[in-house]
Amino acid sequence: MQAADADAGGRAGGADNSLEGQGQGGCGGLCSAGTEAAVAGAAPHVPRPQHAPGPGGDALSTTGRPETRIHIFALGVPFPSHLEAEIACASLAPDREPHGGIVEKQLTVTDSVLAIRWRAENSRLLRISIINFLDQLSLVIRTMQRFGPPVSR
Amino acid sequence: MPTVLGFEGSANKIGVGVVRDGAVLANPRRTYVTPPGTGFLPGDTARHHRAVILDLLQEALTEAGLTSQDIDCIAYTKGPGMGAPLVSVAVVARTVAQLWNKPLLGVNHCIGHIEMGRLITGATSPTVLYVSGGNTQVIAYSEHRYRIFGETIDIAVGNCLDRFARVLKISNDPSPGYNIEQMAKRGKKLVELPYTVKGMDVSFSGILSFIEDVAQRMLATGECTPEDLCFSLQETVFAMLVEITERAMAHCGSQEALIVGGVGCNLRLQEMMETMCQERGARLFATDERFCIDNGAMIAQAGWEMFRAGHRTPLSDSGITQRYRTDEVEVTWRD
Repeated sequence: MQAADADAGGRAGGADNSLEGQGQGGCGGLCSAGTEAAVAGAAPHVPRPQHAPGPGGDALSTTGRPETRIHIFALGVPFPSHLEAEIACASLAPDREPHGGIVEKQLTVTDSVLAIRWRAENSRLLRISIINFLDQLSLVIRTMQRFGPPVSR
Repeated sequence: MPTVLGFEGSANKIGVGVVRDGAVLANPRRTYVTPPGTGFLPGDTARHHRAVILDLLQEALTEAGLTSQDIDCIAYTKGPGMGAPLVSVAVVARTVAQLWNKPLLGVNHCIGHIEMGRLITGATSPTVLYVSGGNTQVIAYSEHRYRIFGETIDIAVGNCLDRFARVLKISNDPSPGYNIEQMAKRGKKLVELPYTVKGMDVSFSGILSFIEDVAQRMLATGECTPEDLCFSLQETVFAMLVEITERAMAHCGSQEALIVGGVGCNLRLQEMMETMCQERGARLFATDERFCIDNGAMIAQAGWEMFRAGHRTPLSDSGITQRYRTDEVEVTWRD
């Protein structure tokens, strides 16, 4: 993933030039409002998959069956403003994942960061889902760069 | 007078169109063409669409002489079609709808073809033969639904033609169907193929298997030429389509027939349909390749009708769907 794409125009950290304040919330009810703090440090860095610990347990005992592993992947994408993060969220959330429920993802917006959290039983399908998401995310960012900024509400 | 922007990309064509009150202001399009002997796969097709869609959008606005402020509604193909290409187009539609703060409309691809056919030809209430690489249906309007009277029970007629083209390694540029049509004109011998009309419906997968098999054998022995096979395949499948269209017209007492979809460009099909219509005292309507083949303006036109009738697609409902029946939509814009 190119740094330019991940950094949504490179205006992060500067003046917030949108009319919206820095709020926390879902994107029009589409994404669950979250306390997810899955920001991945510096913008272009994609974090390595982690195994989520179970309640009070360790990484290996995530599920009842020792052979089935649940893979978790979290990604945070900063945007120049809360509104633009919400726009990206609302554009990317509606399409359902293929293959039933083997791979699930959840999108949330906190301040001006779009956080995506994947949960999958199959690592190959998880990898495919992430790659496809990054392609569509890149397109959304290019669209916003070329046809934005958002008009005032 | 609403101005609607339409995005289409359910198969290998990607188009962006602008329509205002029955006038097509812009309709640029690109086609993803694969090498002879191959078909287009979803991931590669989506990659193609993502690479060109923003340029196409700019082209459409420039050609129409409009800015984003002049657009009243953003329409896009909700389905049916191939997953990844549909998503690639839908995310752009959703993004610009939000950037420009305009309402969004998810359109059924088949209805896009029908509404553009009605607009361009002026047909009032025709029996519609919708034939393309992805769809084969005979449709008639009744009481707020486009009802499917007959359809393929397996593959679309265009799919049969396209996959046969691969066997003969016929070029996919500009489309395999076009090249089969040109070769068929030079065919001299009719090879007998299975004829599979099933009541109101048709089946093509058996014909495809048969002709793939026949091609190997007969071309090796020189019993017939590739041109003969193209000719024979067209004559057979088109006769089947004429039969089921006629059957639907007889049921409905219809005096008009309209052909839409990419296979509708085929002049031999139009000729055969015309013969049938004349024998019944009915009128045949067809459009040219600008509107037969998937395009953005047809989505904009269906969107225009839907917008004026009060339809809106909330973002949360705007997910694409690979299966979307023509009769699922309530056609509130017609009586």
